[in-house]
This record gives sequence, structure tokens and C-alpha cells, in this order.
Amino acid sequence: MKLTISLFLLAACAAAQIRTVALPGKSPLVTFRIVFTTGSASDPADKPGLAYLTAQMIADGGTKDLTYKQIGDALFPMASSVNAQVDKEMCSFGGATHVDNLDAYYKLLRGMLLTPGWREDDFRRVRDDAINAIKVALRGNNDEELGKEVLYETLYQGTPYGHLNTGTISSLEKITLDDVRAFYKSQYSQSQLIIGIAGGFSPAFLTAMKKDFQALPATAAPQPRISAPAAVEKSRAVIVDKDTRSVAFSIGYPIDVTRARPDYAPLLLVSSYLGQHRMSSGVLYDRLREKRGLNYGDYAYIEYFPRGMFLMEPQPNLARHQQIFQVWIRPVEPPTAKFALRLALFELDKLNKNGLTQEQFDRTREFLGKYVNVLTRTKRAELGYAIDSLFYGIPPYNDYLKTQLGKLTLADVNRVIKQYIRTDRLVIAAVTRNGEDLKRQLASDDASPMTYNSPKPQQITEEDKLVVKWPLGLKPQDIKVIPVSEVFQ
Amino acid sequence: MVLMLSKLCLLLGCAALACGAQAQKVFPYEYSQDDLPNGLRLITVPTDYANIVAVYIVVQTGSRNEVEPGHTGFAHLFEHLMFRGTPLYPPEKYNQTLNRIGASSNASTSDDLTVYHTTFSKEDLDTVLAMEADRFQHLKYAEPEFKTESLAVLGEYNKNSASPFSKLNEVMQNTAFDKHTYKHTTMGFLKDIQDMPNQYEYSLKFFDRYYRPEYTTIIVVGDVKAKAVRAMVDKYWGEWKRGSYKPEIPMEPEQNGPRTAHVDWPSATLPIVSVGFKVPAYNDATKPTAALDALAYLAFSNTSDLYQKLVVQEQKADSIFGNAPSSVDPSLFEITARVKKAEDVDYVRDRILETVKAFQEKPVDAARLDTVRKRLRYQVALRMDNSDTIAQILSYYVALKRTPETMNALYDQYATLTPQDVQQAAKLLLEKGRTMVTLTGPGGAK
Repeated sequence: MKLTISLFLLAACAAAQIRTVALPGKSPLVTFRIVFTTGSASDPADKPGLAYLTAQMIADGGTKDLTYKQIGDALFPMASSVNAQVDKEMCSFGGATHVDNLDAYYKLLRGMLLTPGWREDDFRRVRDDAINAIKVALRGNNDEELGKEVLYETLYQGTPYGHLNTGTISSLEKITLDDVRAFYKSQYSQSQLIIGIAGGFSPAFLTAMKKDFQALPATAAPQPRISAPAAVEKSRAVIVDKDTRSVAFSIGYPIDVTRARPDYAPLLLVSSYLGQHRMSSGVLYDRLREKRGLNYGDYAYIEYFPRGMFLMEPQPNLARHQQIFQVWIRPVEPPTAKFALRLALFELDKLNKNGLTQEQFDRTREFLGKYVNVLTRTKRAELGYAIDSLFYGIPPYNDYLKTQLGKLTLADVNRVIKQYIRTDRLVIAAVTRNGEDLKRQLASDDASPMTYNSPKPQQITEEDKLVVKWPLGLKPQDIKVIPVSEVFQ
Repeated sequence: MVLMLSKLCLLLGCAALACGAQAQKVFPYEYSQDDLPNGLRLITVPTDYANIVAVYIVVQTGSRNEVEPGHTGFAHLFEHLMFRGTPLYPPEKYNQTLNRIGASSNASTSDDLTVYHTTFSKEDLDTVLAMEADRFQHLKYAEPEFKTESLAVLGEYNKNSASPFSKLNEVMQNTAFDKHTYKHTTMGFLKDIQDMPNQYEYSLKFFDRYYRPEYTTIIVVGDVKAKAVRAMVDKYWGEWKRGSYKPEIPMEPEQNGPRTAHVDWPSATLPIVSVGFKVPAYNDATKPTAALDALAYLAFSNTSDLYQKLVVQEQKADSIFGNAPSSVDPSLFEITARVKKAEDVDYVRDRILETVKAFQEKPVDAARLDTVRKRLRYQVALRMDNSDTIAQILSYYVALKRTPETMNALYDQYATLTPQDVQQAAKLLLEKGRTMVTLTGPGGAK
């Protein structure tokens, strides 16, 4: 591990302009992560989706020399690809290849990033795909992700984070290929670039690669100032109305904690205790699913985590200067929706009032200290985390987190619980059929009685007496119902 | 978690090829394979990836084993119940132990298998094997917990129900099969899921039948020594009693003509057309399984002529893919396209059928077949970059034939595959064994 750290630091310091994260090793594979620290936060106000379209044109279009088909044909026998990921402050391009194919693969990757083809027919296809990603994949077929993204959009209104990374349908329909070219020219620069490479490459290979990327402009257009969003002064709800079977909830509020802040490790511990993504160990999972059978799972987050329904672990290179605290309640049957929401808030309140016990603190800390090894078990992940660490200005994540956790005390954690965990001043996003009906329910203080298909222990029935009347603090004017066709339109 | 095999196949590149007869075995690791007297099999694969160990426990039981009417979805329900604890490890203790060791743990079910997997630091191997052995042998849950867990399964159905592909898959299987248990999806029929809370007694029977050593293979991959692993498995799993149950899976009668079905999807979506053809069961001693896998790439991957025409040039579809099954019993070779406009559904369908016909009439270019061989070889090599994924890949092959050699045998078939073999495989896609399902959203009625 020490070797990795020294290489990491060396590489980060070696180039005056182009930042590099290099993790050489004996592997017969070479993994690339080429990151530009620009993203949808840099979209012009009237062109949301421009960063997204630009990155997709690079990863999913031709180059000056090769058509999209020729690139596909060349990549096919290598079983390799170049994938783009666009977030608020990072556009990343990733791929891996066997060392047998390193030179051929790199030539393609270099062509795509440095000399994109900008063909009209590619643009037409890529733009259609982007529009359908919103219209069909998100609005039509994925209620959970839809709820999460509506929550983000609501919380970040009026800031550079205030729109979906993919953009809006009306904006995508207007963006031209010239806009894409201009965005590339102004944002894809050496100053925004981080070259990430891991595996069986030679020092000479990396030197040549860095030289190639000096073809990019030295600096980018000024980056937007990422300031904190407006505080949520009073709880409110946004209900997306669509014809669907169940009710998906996401709730949250902004926090001023990123990996670079001292409260990161204690708050990460709190969110892990509440609901580690896709694990059965969290409190929310236990109370909502295990004890009461309300749904498939319930989790908490302090960092952006898209595509959670398809992923078991977070993806790197989604680094941000602003984050939210979020609780994800997976779809519940409509008759129990209000109860499930109340129960999640009840649990947050309980945590706020009681804090953690020493045993809960010790166990969760032990978990995170070891789980970080699982998270960074592949070169691909290690490389991604290392790039994010460079972004945040922290040491390699694995060591950083272990060190921070090692210093923590129960008192630290219980302090951040008091400071950050709350049940008022939050935004609730819901996706449901009969939105007006859910609005009536949420705006009312009426009890939401819960019946079960089996007897429950006394502790549960006693708790339920409190949960069924838990105040949501919402008035009709705090709740907005939007037809799905208007979301991200 | 329900795993759809078609997706798994795409993910794993189960249609893997070797580049030549002298090629290195596709599964490059030395491993040991031990059978305990009770019928339990242990496969241990030491790797160079430091500190981490992955334990995958494969039970050769999936929705295929759900032979009694009214009990579809039970293999998957059981995957959930296995987290409901034992006298020694009640659920809280089980979860807290996993939590303390920083493990990543989950399970999934598909047509032919249920797999329980845990990935963790090497010093905790003894704890994991002991705890897993305990729940496989001493699972104990009361009726109230059973009823609650059955609701979590309904919750899983609910979260899946937002995707039209889930519904399409449900309708495809229900239409294509009459008798065989592949008629239902791994989730099961909704009416059976809703009735699960009333089936406590049956659940005990299901456990007694299938959670037995002769159905189970333990795969341990990572920073381990085979001898030490064997000793731990002997210690914790040696007393497990062999069972006697063998299900009678109904044979599917031959299909005598093409079938169609349509799904009206309630919310906005692009139309989808899916064509399924009945094809033989997985077999790595003969050519068809390997040749059908190659066909899926040659005819329907993103470098295929059809993809280039429909997705890249005409842009009438936004995706198209083919998937050859690798199933214990005869199953479906499926081609699925998402179409941009409802009026083009018939056009896209006809191009798919034309493509099938073209591959039946003419052998594929040998050079193109070679690119498929290369791709699949590199695909597997690129994925085997950590112990967890190696175990995951193995679990899929072990579900079929209980040994990593399954993977090598399939590659041997690819090494000698000819264009004529692919042509013969295409001829297995018969019109009389075809099922076509279309799905359209509001305003896109067919």
C-alpha cells in the first residue's frame, strides 16, 4: 500500500499541467479513466444537457478518421469499449483493454477524445438516445431513479446543479452540433484533465500519452462557482403523477459535507448505520422491510449515488462540492405509503434523539474500515477512488477513511447526528398513481393505521401507535403534484 | 434478488471462445475440486489478489424446480427466507456479524440456480463458512416472519414492475411454454406471490427438498489455501445430511406453430418487439450451444449488419440484441429490439426474421467468426480481474454442471466452431417454435 501511495503522489505532482493518477502493476490488463473536471454544472443556462451530449458524442460517435461503425468494428474483437459518465463537475471516460491490444485500443481512445468526428448522423442518434433516456428510461420505466432525480432537481433549484445531468427534453431538442463543438472547445482542456491509468503499462507509454493530451487547449473557460443551495426552510413535497403500481419515495436535504470535510467520516458512519446501500444491516432496512414487510429495502446516503437499483456499490468519479443527505424508500404498496414515510421519519427522529450506543458505533466503524477494502478491490475502482481523492485534495481513499475512522469517538458521531439528522426542513419526492390522493393524505394529520398479515411483537405494535400519527408537517400549499409528462420536459 | 439469465449471459459473455486448439484454458487458475461423503462439492481457487476472499454457494435449484401449481416463485422466496436466521444466529446476530467483518453479501435466483455470495477479508473465512453452514443446515423461521418476508418479495415484484422489460419477459415465457416450468419467471406469477403468506408449510417442504448437500456447491476464490479451506468445510458442513428428493420437471411438448402476444403498457414507453425461438438445452459436448452463442453476436450485436442498419443508419430502433440461452432444459433464443416509432414495429420485426433466414441460408464469413472468438476470449479475461468476479463467473457454470471444466469444455467447442456450425445452429430457429411478443405504450396500439 505504501508503494501505491508514493506512486500516486509522485504521479500527481510530476506534470506541471496535466494531472495524472498512475497505478502501475503486473496485471495483463490496462484500465483507463480519463476525467475532465467539468460537467453539467457548466451547461449554459439555456442549454441543459450540453455537457451530456458532448460526452456522449465522444464516446458514442466517430472520430475525424473513423466512423462510429469503424470504431465499433475495431473495439469488438478486443471486447473493449469507451464509456462516458457525466455528472455535475466531472465527465469521465473509462475503458479497459488487455495488454495485447493496448496500442490499438489507445489509438482509438485518443482519437475519440482528441479528434472527435462531430458527424450529423451520429448527433441525431445520440440526441435521440438522450431524449429517450429521459422520456422512456427515466420517466417511463424507472420510478425510483425518477424520484431521486426529482429530489435533486428540487433541492438545487437556482444553482448550477439545478437540472438533470441529461438535461431537459426541450433543451436537448434545441441543442445543435455547433453547441457541442463549442462546449468541447471551451471545456476539454489540459487544466481540467486528470489522466487515470492502472495496470500493465510502461512509463514510456504514460509519457507519450501525456504528450498526446497536450494537444488540448491549456485552459478552459471559467468554471461556475458551486455555492450551497438555499436551505430548506420548511418541509415540502413534490409528487410525480404517473400510471404505476406502487409508490416510490426519496427524501432529503442539502448538507455541507464532502469527503474533504472533517465531518465526512462520522456522517458516513451514521448513514451506514441507518442504511448501507443494498445491505441488510441498516436500521431502515430492518425496521421497514425485515420487521414490517413494507417493501424491498431502504437506505441512506451522503453522496450522489445514481443507478442505485442496478448497482451494489457506488461508482467513482461523481465527485461534487455539494451533497445531500438522502433516504431512499423503495416502492411501497399504495395503502401503506404514508405509514412507510412516517416510519422512516420516526426512525430518523429516534436516531436524532438517542444517538448511537458504543456497540453500534464500534460495529459500524469496524464494518466501514473493512468494507472499504471490498469497495476498492479492483484496479478500476482503486483508480476511480484515487482520482476522486485528487479532486477532494485528500490522501488515497482507503487509507484516508481508515485513518479518519480510527480517530473517531462515539461523541463525534453523536454530535454529527444532532447536527445533521433531522425530520423537518426536508423535501419529499414521490412517484405514484393518483398524485392528488397522495397529496390529500400527506397534507392531513389523520392516522395511517397499519395492519399486518401476521402478529407482531409488542415492541413493534407499541412503536406503531406513535408512527401512525407521526406529524409530517405538510400543508396542501407545501405539496406540488406534477404530471410525469412535465418532469424534465 | 432475481437475476434474469439473459442479462447474466450478456454480462458474463457466456458465449466464450478460444482462439485456437492450442489456446490456454479459458479458466486459467489452478483449482481443487473435492466431494464430501454427503454429496457436497467444494471448489477452491487460490488467486494472487491479496486479502480478499469470495464465497459463492450455488444451489442447483431455481424457478425450474417449482413443479407444483400455485407455488411459482418459491425458489426466489427461499433466497429471502435464508436470511431469516437460525437458533444459533438469529437475523440480528447474522447481520451484525456480517457487518463487523465488513462483508459485502447478497443472493440471487434465476431459472436454474440460487446463489448466495459473500466477499470479505481473508481472516474472516472461518466465520463466514461457519455461519453459512449453520443457516444451510439449521434455518428456522416462524410463520409470522415467513409472512412478513413474503411481503418483501411482493415489494421486489413492485419495484420491478416499473420496467416494461420485466412484463415482456413474463409474457414471453408464459406464451412460449405450455408445460415446462420455464413458463413462469423466477419472480413467479403475481397471484402466487400474493398467496405466498399462506404457504408456510409448503416452504418448509421446499427447504427440506432442495437445501441438501447433493444440490449444493461451495466456491471459494481468493487469498486462501485449498487445504485449510477443505478442513473448515469438513468441520462445518460435514454433518449435513443428504436428501432424496428429485423433482419431475415436466417435458415441454414440441411447439407446432408460431405464437404471438401483445402487451399494452400503461405509461409512455418506446415499443419493444421480442422474438423467441425454442432451442436445445445447454450442452458442451456438441456444437449447438456454442454455435448459437456465436450466432447471437454475429447476427445481433452492435457490429452486426442488422444493428448497423436499424440503429446506426436508419435509426428506427435504439437498441437491438440477441441472447442465446445456456439452460438446463431447452429454452429460448431471444432477439429484442426497442423501436423508436410504433409504426416501425412490423418493419423491425420483419428485418429480424429476414436476418435469421439469411443466416440459415448462407454460412457466415470465417474472418468474422474469428473476431467473435477473439472478443469472447478477451471479454472473459478482462472480467477476471478480481476474486469476486472470478467466483461469480464460476457460479454460473457450476450451476450447469458443478465444475469449472464446464467453462473449458464450452471453449473447446468454440475453438473448433466452423461457419457451417453456425449455419446449422441458425437452422434450429424454426418458425413453428417461434414466439413473438410486442409491447407498446398508450397511443401505440398494434
